[in-house]
Amino acid sequence: MPASILTRDESQSSARSVRFMDVVKRFGAVTAVERFNLTIEPGQFVTLLGPSGCGKSTTLNMIAGLELPTEGRILIGDRDVTAISPADRDIAMVFQSYALYPHLTIFENIAFPLRARRRRTEEADVVKKVKDAALMLGLDSLLHRFPREVSGGQRQRVALGRAMVRQPTVYLLDEPLSNLDQQLRVQMRSELKDLHLRLGATMLYVTHDQGEAMTLSDSIAVMSGGRIEQFGAPKDLYRNPANLFVARFLGEPGMTIIEGQVDNRTFRAPDVVHDAPSVISGTRLAMGVRPEDLTPCQPDNGPMSGIVRTIEFLGSRSLIRVDVGPVLVTAFIASEAEVRIGERIGLKPTTPTSVCWFDLETSQALPRVAVC
Amino acid sequence: MNWRGRLQFALLIIPASVVVLGPILWALSTSLKPNDRIFAVPPRLIPDAPTLTHYARLIAEGVHWSFFNSALYAVTSVVAAVSIGAVAGYALVRFPVRFKPLVLVLFMAALAVPSYALLLPTQIIFVQLGLFDTRLALPILYATHIIPFAVWMTRAHFASVPIELEHAALVDGYSRAEAVWKVILPGAMPAIIAASTFGFLYSWNDYITATTMVDSPARRTLPVALIFFQGFHGRDWGALMAGVIIATLPPVTLFLIFRRHLIGGFSEGSVKG
Repeated sequence: MPASILTRDESQSSARSVRFMDVVKRFGAVTAVERFNLTIEPGQFVTLLGPSGCGKSTTLNMIAGLELPTEGRILIGDRDVTAISPADRDIAMVFQSYALYPHLTIFENIAFPLRARRRRTEEADVVKKVKDAALMLGLDSLLHRFPREVSGGQRQRVALGRAMVRQPTVYLLDEPLSNLDQQLRVQMRSELKDLHLRLGATMLYVTHDQGEAMTLSDSIAVMSGGRIEQFGAPKDLYRNPANLFVARFLGEPGMTIIEGQVDNRTFRAPDVVHDAPSVISGTRLAMGVRPEDLTPCQPDNGPMSGIVRTIEFLGSRSLIRVDVGPVLVTAFIASEAEVRIGERIGLKPTTPTSVCWFDLETSQALPRVAVC
Repeated sequence: MNWRGRLQFALLIIPASVVVLGPILWALSTSLKPNDRIFAVPPRLIPDAPTLTHYARLIAEGVHWSFFNSALYAVTSVVAAVSIGAVAGYALVRFPVRFKPLVLVLFMAALAVPSYALLLPTQIIFVQLGLFDTRLALPILYATHIIPFAVWMTRAHFASVPIELEHAALVDGYSRAEAVWKVILPGAMPAIIAASTFGFLYSWNDYITATTMVDSPARRTLPVALIFFQGFHGRDWGALMAGVIIATLPPVTLFLIFRRHLIGGFSEGSVKG
């Protein structure tokens, strides 16, 4: 991609914070978003991550003004935009379906926001800005074509061009990569990251793809059932999930959760005996461990043991699934490790700190200090 | 296509062309022949002494005013009906209208009622309202007939236009009305043109309503004016055929201009990959 045509100062000046204050959205009897509180700092790349129907797109639409919150307020910068029309919010949005105007050429599509009556952009300025944006996105030779005449990846860039041709306060991106094939998605992902670094803009990204969320974001808000389960830096969320939902949802595959009981600082579950955090005896806990934090050992030497059910060869390593009591435990092992299906093996955490503990009553994680 | 395919295509297209174009060509030929050559034996397609006397006669009889009336009524009714129909079609797609299915069935039912069955009661009402034999009578009746069709056509098209296009325009800084005008309407052009063409043809071709609702020669439509050339003592074929040719011109021109819109699709390439 050619070098940036926007100076950082120029774009940074337009970046604004976004604040949700007790936002609730109901559709009839269904609550799509529940008591949503979130602050996104200017220039941050924040992802709303969650399964389908968790309310992430509704949240994005509320910032855009395409949906009105039932309760609460939304602020962009210091401005309360809760009831302001989308056109007056000065935001840009990239839709999952790209939403390019089919009767307009690529040039006219990118120029469309600038030509809005309320912006009053000089035509010479429009031409310059569109050409600059097209150059930045590698679309300069396609400007006279129509959306139907370009490829999926190029359409995606046109949608991005339409968003960045003016300097909006916030960029909203609704699963913009989900319609691309795997290879193009990885490429566009890094281009998007690059674009964010160069524009220094506030970007709010919605996806159900945790790979995208992890690689792109400064912070991630994991959502489920219209609520934020956890908000934080990708690494923090991955290493220290706040509850069972985040533990299971993040990671490919997610964290293995083994439910059991604590007696005399010892955690017991079928085929599992492990040192437990200091909690009252009889407390029911869940032990969580990531597949890469388990290492195979002799069946009698490890805190857990089980029968190997499947082995998936992944190149540099293999993913094994082991029946430990009623739980299917996943673990990454070196691909050259001698393990056979049906064999009984032991598994142990690589370090004591790699184990997370959750209270089964509340589903919340226990503070780390209690574990280590 | 190879030569065998071309030949088959030509063999199939020739009879179809003769059936469709034959009468029009014969009418054109007759309209250019002097009266004494119209029934000459053997018949000739290309007149040996072409003349424009029949056309001159039409003008002398003031038929061009009827042409103008027909055009005025058709255009007025189409503009009114398609504007109202498109607004209703949009509203029925995008707004939570109560009893929506019932409203749509009513529009469909209106299409199903033969308008001629209501002609006499309508005439009585129009007489009482003072609309009989006015320039408003026919546009009102034609528009009422076209509106249900326009609603159905445009509604189907608006429903197929992704709502994201409208949302994108709103976010891009346009008001709802601007978004509809700049993004949704251009997309609905095929439906609007199809509804307009249907409406125009209906109004342009109508004879029964026009002859029932309008009496004075100054407000007559072209089909009504032409019927007078059938005469009481034998038909004036030359003038009649000249009238037919003139009456055929607007629909044919319309089709030639808009054929791309009438056939082509629209939203291809707007969304997804």
